[in-house]
Amino acid sequence: MTKGEVPNVVGLEVLKKNGVNVEKLKELITKGVGAEFTTYYYYTILRMHCTGLEGEGIKEIVEDARIEDRNHFEAMVPRLYELGGNLPKDIRKFADQAGCPDAYLPDNWEDINSILKVLLEAEQCAIRSWGEVCDMTAGKDHRTYDIAQKIMQEEIEHEAWFIELISKRPSGHFRRKFVGQSPHTGSQGGLIHL
Amino acid sequence: MKYSKTDRYPVCKSSELVDDTMMKVSIDMVDILVGRRNGKLFACDNSCPHKGASLSKGCFNGDRVVCYMHGYEYNVFTGKLENMKSWKKEDTWVEQDMEWRKSGDLILYSVSEEDGTVYVALK
Ligand code: FES
Ligand SMILES: [Fe+2]
Ligand SMILES: [Fe+2]
Repeated sequence: MTKGEVPNVVGLEVLKKNGVNVEKLKELITKGVGAEFTTYYYYTILRMHCTGLEGEGIKEIVEDARIEDRNHFEAMVPRLYELGGNLPKDIRKFADQAGCPDAYLPDNWEDINSILKVLLEAEQCAIRSWGEVCDMTAGKDHRTYDIAQKIMQEEIEHEAWFIELISKRPSGHFRRKFVGQSPHTGSQGGLIHL
Repeated sequence: MKYSKTDRYPVCKSSELVDDTMMKVSIDMVDILVGRRNGKLFACDNSCPHKGASLSKGCFNGDRVVCYMHGYEYNVFTGKLENMKSWKKEDTWVEQDMEWRKSGDLILYSVSEEDGTVYVALK
């Protein structure tokens, strides 16, 4: 076998036999991890603007969501390469193709509710986006499904946090053990670094 | 099974596709949205031309299918993008970059109905 030549990949062969459209799956994953990466970036800006009595009150929760979204990027990217996909060479292209909008800082950021609404919108898009990957892989691509459903679990928790902050509905959430704990995807994040 | 682009394939019974409904069917791992709106059949790729969401999770608005992901609306008969919904939920939000917003049109497939069966061809 010459250098660069890839032998038959049984991990891919079984997916095709199970009826997974691998090209489409790679496209959706690239969009999903694009959204995680841009969200991580924009959440950094949003978090910096969580100041004052109210802002400081939510800063740690924003930080948990920010780091966990970065963890989602790290948890899924290795799978993209296993599937034969890759990240776009140019980060501009990567951001433009992302499955979710940029979570821009709103003009009236001094009103902490306006920041919370942007955060909620971003989490809800992430749930839809990973839901697509879960639907496509359930019962067919066990490995991708396992990672995507772990991400989904954390996205649903993120959505709940921001809904609870906005609506004051009763909440089962207390706090993470440490910042960006990622109770579900934590083990996957370790694929890139510890 | 080998599929050819010109052949038409049975995808469902006519009775399964009542008026103002749509459903996802698959031909050779291509997901297709087939539906009936105001008595007229349509078929298109199920993948939203914007960011690839499943259009079968959307709903109708007039002759348009509304994508559940970011709300874009595409005419199911012409395929044209007719409503590029804004991301802005409030005046104070900053609009998305045009490169992120842009979208092509729907990929339409030919659809027909004969003897109680709906057929789609991937062309
Ligand atoms: S993916 Fe359909 S509107 Fe964006
Ligand atoms: Fe995330
Ligand atoms: Fe999140």
